[in-house]
Amino acid sequence: MSVAMPNVNETWTGKILEVTLGAGPDKGGTRGKTVTVGGETTLPFLHFEGEIPNKPVVAVEVRDRAPDDWSELLVKAWGDSLKDPAAWAAKAEGLGAEIIALSLDSAHPERGNTGAKEARETVRQVLKATSLPLIIYGPGQPDKDNEVLVAAAEEAAGERVALGNCEEKNYRTVVAAALANNQVVIAKTPIDVNLAKQLNVLIGDMRLDRDRILIDPTTGALGYGLEYTYSVMERVRLAALTGDSALQQPLIVTAGYEAWRAKEARTNDGVPTQWGDWAKRAVLWEANTAVTLLETGADILVLRHPETIPLVKRAIAGLMTRAGA
Amino acid sequence: MSRYIAKAAIRGANLIVGEAEQMVEAAVAELGASTPVAFTNTAYHLPVILGFTGMEVDNLGELREAVAYAKRLLNAMPGESLWLPYLGETLDAGAATLLATEAIEAVRFARGLQPEPIPGLHLTGTSFTSPDNNGGGADGGHANGPIDDIQLRAWGIQLVDGRMPGFAAIIGAARSNEAAVSIVRELQKRNILVFLSGNVNGRSIIHQLMEEGVEMGYDTYIVPFGTDTISAIYALGFATRSALTFGGMSGGQTRDILLYNKYRVFAFALALGEVDDLKYAAAAGAINYGFPVIADTLIPQILPSGITSYEHVISMPFDDIPGDNDTERARRLVQRCMEVRGVKIKITDVPIPVPYGSAFEGERIRKADMRVEFGGSKAQAFEYLRSVGLDEIEDGKIEVVGPGFDDVPEGGAMSLGIVVEVAGRKMQEDFEPVLERQTHYWVNGASGIQHIGQRDITWIRLSKAAVDKGFQIKNLGDILYARLHADFGAILDKVAVTIYTDPDKFQEWLAKAREAYQARNVRLADMVDESIEEFYSCTLCQSFAPNHVCVISPERLGLCGAYNWLDCKASNQINPTGPNQPIPKGICLDPVFGVWQGSNEFAYQNTHQTVERVTLYSIMQDPMTACGCFECIAVVIPEANGVMVVSREDPSMTPAGMTFSTLAGVAGGGLQTPGMMGVGKYYLLSRKFISADGGFKRIVWMSSVLKGMMADELKGVCEREGDPDLLDKIADERSATTVEELLPFLEEHQHPALAMDPIF
Ligand code: SF4
Repeated sequence: MSVAMPNVNETWTGKILEVTLGAGPDKGGTRGKTVTVGGETTLPFLHFEGEIPNKPVVAVEVRDRAPDDWSELLVKAWGDSLKDPAAWAAKAEGLGAEIIALSLDSAHPERGNTGAKEARETVRQVLKATSLPLIIYGPGQPDKDNEVLVAAAEEAAGERVALGNCEEKNYRTVVAAALANNQVVIAKTPIDVNLAKQLNVLIGDMRLDRDRILIDPTTGALGYGLEYTYSVMERVRLAALTGDSALQQPLIVTAGYEAWRAKEARTNDGVPTQWGDWAKRAVLWEANTAVTLLETGADILVLRHPETIPLVKRAIAGLMTRAGA
Repeated sequence: MSRYIAKAAIRGANLIVGEAEQMVEAAVAELGASTPVAFTNTAYHLPVILGFTGMEVDNLGELREAVAYAKRLLNAMPGESLWLPYLGETLDAGAATLLATEAIEAVRFARGLQPEPIPGLHLTGTSFTSPDNNGGGADGGHANGPIDDIQLRAWGIQLVDGRMPGFAAIIGAARSNEAAVSIVRELQKRNILVFLSGNVNGRSIIHQLMEEGVEMGYDTYIVPFGTDTISAIYALGFATRSALTFGGMSGGQTRDILLYNKYRVFAFALALGEVDDLKYAAAAGAINYGFPVIADTLIPQILPSGITSYEHVISMPFDDIPGDNDTERARRLVQRCMEVRGVKIKITDVPIPVPYGSAFEGERIRKADMRVEFGGSKAQAFEYLRSVGLDEIEDGKIEVVGPGFDDVPEGGAMSLGIVVEVAGRKMQEDFEPVLERQTHYWVNGASGIQHIGQRDITWIRLSKAAVDKGFQIKNLGDILYARLHADFGAILDKVAVTIYTDPDKFQEWLAKAREAYQARNVRLADMVDESIEEFYSCTLCQSFAPNHVCVISPERLGLCGAYNWLDCKASNQINPTGPNQPIPKGICLDPVFGVWQGSNEFAYQNTHQTVERVTLYSIMQDPMTACGCFECIAVVIPEANGVMVVSREDPSMTPAGMTFSTLAGVAGGGLQTPGMMGVGKYYLLSRKFISADGGFKRIVWMSSVLKGMMADELKGVCEREGDPDLLDKIADERSATTVEELLPFLEEHQHPALAMDPIF
């Protein structure tokens, strides 16, 4: 006997925009691979309800100088490649990265204070070393962000890189650089739906195409506010699907950065033995943070540890498989 | 539109288009139609022609077509009897002029005559424009010509992100060399790009600056285009290319390109010296871009705004500008240009000798550490902000009228009055109190300075440490000047501060201030929900209560008490995409409960489809949601047929059986809870306080701190309600903390709620 099941599918009116990173020779760039994210017409992985044309992807963080505050586990895992962003990027590509998230960290006044010239050189080298699309982050200090992101955007003209972070305090410069060089921006706001929306509106006012924006809603790591950021992202996505056109961009999250700030991942000093094997714990901390954020709508996950990459990609592959398929 | 200007512009346009035609024809005959034309090191063909017409002109033959296009734009001269506003024709004539002048420059380029040789002129910074150009005699001097693409990008980004407010296209020659230098220096000081062209009787501002040894070139942001009016076209080429580069537009999107420039490129033309027909025609061209024209000679003005944001053409005869010398007059002229174009001043640092920041806001200064106080028990202080006309004040003027505190003994007091005058096109008298109230936070931001109170109960203390570091009375003005520009720049153009310590002047201004306070009180009392068209929303608290919206009306402020209707209105002007949005009231669905179509719709959308209906005047039916930061909670006590109001500052038990903090847990979170509502304390005084449920007379219990804090105001409300002793009939935590205690109290005092209709 079959019981009639009521159809509980929602019909959403909104759709997430598709955003493409990277441009091949046909589009004026030099990338061997490009990545398109977004396009969803339903909540994460509800394949029975709507379309999920593009799978979420993994970006791997590469810095332009060897980080001095990274966990020893990360330092060991990447080895000498930490000293050379080009080698680091090539290695990350070999390990399964789908995007290289290059951070121009050395431009920070306290970490080298390099300028436009060095930024250009780094971008040039990394572009040469990898066929993947690029995300380029400034050092997170407004003046220096402006200086190096403008230079990087010019150097990577035609490559359709994503420039980050584009925040309330510097969005005008970053957006102008994107406009002039046909790039994408990462609009980052501190864990607040309305702020995210407002920044997107402001960016839109500058006439950057809507499909050249990624939203970074700011996230927390497992055990460090993850559930709060989870529900903020969920609300961004719900607003988008119910038709709020100012929030319909794909979401990017820096899961690696967040997870490796957590004590559980970063260190083994003075932690209880019950916490178990450090290396395993750390990678799982990052992977769990990432996978949780996938479930609430992340389209691009920026990761740090080589071993996290396959774990998260496996989870994505599983989630993208339709039940019964 | 002035007919005089229209005629002159159209005459000028006809002449220059004719000249362009001849030049192009001659060049075609001599060099051939396929001879390439291009501006060196720029990739936008001939940018103005491209922008206006979409034509990609690359050779003389194509240039001919562009000139033909310009010719078609020309109209017959307006007749003597025609009194229409000739705006359309004039703007077309202006556009034709731009196309023609660009065509002329293109021919000159084709003939190797551009950039114009100017002997002795050396430019700083690399000009890629024409590395091979070495005309101009033995020393190889020449003007810059068009700005190359690399520089366009570098400056363009700064123009777009606001670091550079705009550019000034100066045409002609200044009254004197002194004036020329001062004008340029004033513009540089404001980070404004300066483009130079034109002459008066052969003498150009470029010559004037050369004589005075002013360095020109990309490095100094002063770009000499050429010594004739025609070269001013490079300024508009620059503007067009900015729109193409940063506005994502393509050639032929004329309207978009022009609007882009109007709203995003803060540029203006400054015509120095006599204005001839060609200059009028070029000015008409600039107006197409929304760029106003300011002349330092007597010419007819075109004031009504429309194409430009403010006035179109302003005449400010140099000799009539007040000032002791040309430097001062130049400063005023530039100031006026800023106003006409709406260029905003940016101030990032507060220039005072002590550290400044919000971290110092909570600082307290004990008597022992104090050098001097203004106000308090031994002296008096007031602060008063008023708006005045743009011509009435000078921006940045900070004055102390009367003695400093040198003669006041340590720890002593003196009286002081702060009068702030502001002017701005978007400033409204209603915003005065909103801005004035910020004084408290701004002054407190200075390390070692403490500010308490407002209006005529202001009380300011300066610490010994701050005074040792050099803090003086005038610095109070510096703080206010800087912060007003920084925080309210969107509505203000000018700020001046006068601080009165002179006893007579102090009294005189105190009286004026009190008059204004009184007028504001009356105004506020007159402002009722029925008298306005829009409510305002506040969604600031959605970060933690995602489905909460405060609907704020003149008679009901936000429940945190921090935002009233005027605050929201001002905040919306300053930050149009921010958390305070206007809510058009729409149809009134229920005047008693306070239900409007507009507020319902807004609530529905912005609570993510959870709240469908919201009343402004009831606690029982669809009350407003509560986020969590309410000043007070109102709760219905069914047994007493009334409501109780407990303050956040009251820790005691209440007749509802819960303390404030327990109640807050029940009421908060952005839910609609009939019978329970978060409110700002001043809402209790409003005529609309739960007016649908019986109003103020329903209050049977109120935290004593509220009674104390608002004693006078509450007394007024009781009188308004026709029951002067009502306050004594309202219980508080001293008389009742349970319903059992409350009821006998109400009986005994014959509280009116007992006799009212049942609240349920
Ligand atoms: S409580 Fe205050 S800050 Fe919060 S939404 Fe209401 S008015 Fe805005």
